[in-house]
Amino acid sequence: MNNPLVAIVEPGFFVNGPVHVALAIGGGAALISAVVGVFTVMRGQSFAGHALADVSSAGGSASLLFGIRPLVGFLVMAAIAAGGMEIIGARQVRERDLVTGVVLGAGLGLTALFLYLDATMTSASGAANTVMFGSMFAIAPSTVPLAVIVGVVALIMSGILYRPLLLVAIDPDLAAIRGVKVRWIGLAHLLVLAMAVALSAMTIGAILSTALLIGPAAAALRLASRPSWAIAIAATIGLTATWGGILLAYDSFYWTPGHGWPVSFFVVVIVFASYMVAGPTGTALARRRAAALPAPALVD
Amino acid sequence: MVWHNTLTLHRAKVLHGAAWLCVALAVVAVCGQAATAATEPTIIKVVGIENEYANVAQQIGGRYVSVSAIETNPNVDPHTFEASPKIVHQIAAAALVVVNGIGYDGWADKIIAAVPNPQRKVINVQHLLHLPDTTRNPHLWYDPKTMPAVARAVADDLAAMAPAHAAYFRANVLAFDASLQPWTTAIAAFKARYAGTPVAVTEPVGNYLLQAMGADIETPFSLQAAIMNGTDPSPQDVATQNALFRDHKIKIFVYNQQVTDPLTQSFLNLARKNGIPVVGVYETMPAPGYTYQSWMLAEVQALRNAVTTKTSTLSLLNGRH
Repeated sequence: MNNPLVAIVEPGFFVNGPVHVALAIGGGAALISAVVGVFTVMRGQSFAGHALADVSSAGGSASLLFGIRPLVGFLVMAAIAAGGMEIIGARQVRERDLVTGVVLGAGLGLTALFLYLDATMTSASGAANTVMFGSMFAIAPSTVPLAVIVGVVALIMSGILYRPLLLVAIDPDLAAIRGVKVRWIGLAHLLVLAMAVALSAMTIGAILSTALLIGPAAAALRLASRPSWAIAIAATIGLTATWGGILLAYDSFYWTPGHGWPVSFFVVVIVFASYMVAGPTGTALARRRAAALPAPALVD
Repeated sequence: MVWHNTLTLHRAKVLHGAAWLCVALAVVAVCGQAATAATEPTIIKVVGIENEYANVAQQIGGRYVSVSAIETNPNVDPHTFEASPKIVHQIAAAALVVVNGIGYDGWADKIIAAVPNPQRKVINVQHLLHLPDTTRNPHLWYDPKTMPAVARAVADDLAAMAPAHAAYFRANVLAFDASLQPWTTAIAAFKARYAGTPVAVTEPVGNYLLQAMGADIETPFSLQAAIMNGTDPSPQDVATQNALFRDHKIKIFVYNQQVTDPLTQSFLNLARKNGIPVVGVYETMPAPGYTYQSWMLAEVQALRNAVTTKTSTLSLLNGRH
């Protein structure tokens, strides 16, 4: 074969069942996380996003206890946390962080309880590892349809929310004057956030799902000046990180004979690397844009 | 090889790390009582960490021992066991403790060390069988060579503690060895007729028995280790395992009832879809209703039924499925 891909893709990658499932669910999770992530970063709710993910781990660990699908567990718990945070929610950033932190602590406490019960009452093995750090190649193929539904609903909701949410993200007061129901938009955003978080918790784990939510969006917002571009760039980075991570994890099986490295590790490394590269690149772009304008030169 | 084992040990450490805080507190509480517990026992207190060892110790010690087991719940994965203050007390009060070793019940070694008692005897099955720490598969009780050696060691230790009853203990060893006969005969019969039978497993729990029966374990060991240790399985291994079911390359699927996750569940579904008989195996002796011997014999019969009549025996507890 003269395919240049063969050099980087180890044999069997494209015909491997678990890889197909990982590519589908991981890709969907990356896409939605990127879209939702841009709004989350713009609204300064990164911590809330992280908290939702941590709280969703309680659902993931409880699902093993009750024998329901992990995705359902993650989703229900993230949605409850989203609703809870919005109800107790405060408008001031400082207070909001406090509420978020308290909810996060309570959620992780529940996770500790459920993981303990998983270990002492059921035959569930490796629950802590799977719930917290993900196990993409162990996702049951039967989860794909549900994941697709969640993903599509999240994308449609993001599309509907796009304009009002953008306005709320940039200037909540102006949005309120223009007749936007800020509170409802906020709640809808948190619900979409919950869906994104549940999907990525399924793939790279509850603790690490923040990386997929915040990382690509943060990098994209350093590069792009328009939200639509930021979303496109974030989606590209997220997909590259997830699919690249899956590919590297697959290849790593041949680096250390008989053992693959964890997918989540590679995904997070690629996200981190893109953020690091985006910093200087973004600064250079901004400088060029500034230079093109007939404005006073920036002083370093 | 070393890699798998360090993983097991490492995981055990991580999981039990948190439990140690409370165990340490409990040790302080029971230390005082430990010294008085072992003086001149009329009934010797024995603890088998896993209930299969407790069962054998009971059969050897008979009316002169009171035996308790710690790992007894067939619905729980002993790999993720967490010790409690009550267990510390149990071990502190015991004159004889039987542990498996190979990191499988490493927490018990720590409790034994934390509650020192010069009179207490400890049988570490790994050391008894002269197995290195790098042994990949810790599920020693499925090996037909294991329990006869354990029975003899138990009898020796009990005889040292109660010399008056030495003859009684030795007679029980002979009776125990004789009672293993139906099992060893069934293993030999299976091997004679069905050696080379290809099987898939989730986890290495029953592997020593399967090897003794001459079965070929087709599942990659790295996948078994990943499931046992709860680490990320590699997609290559999962695909290999899936193909075993889809292409009907195996005749039996040996399913560990005590180490399960969504992945093992998906293998179970694949086995059912492809009409491959499933046989359930256990980390601890399924109770009630079994002795070590009858449990082992039931496993061999279930495996034989799987080959001859394609019958599944998913659970040894709830009748045949």
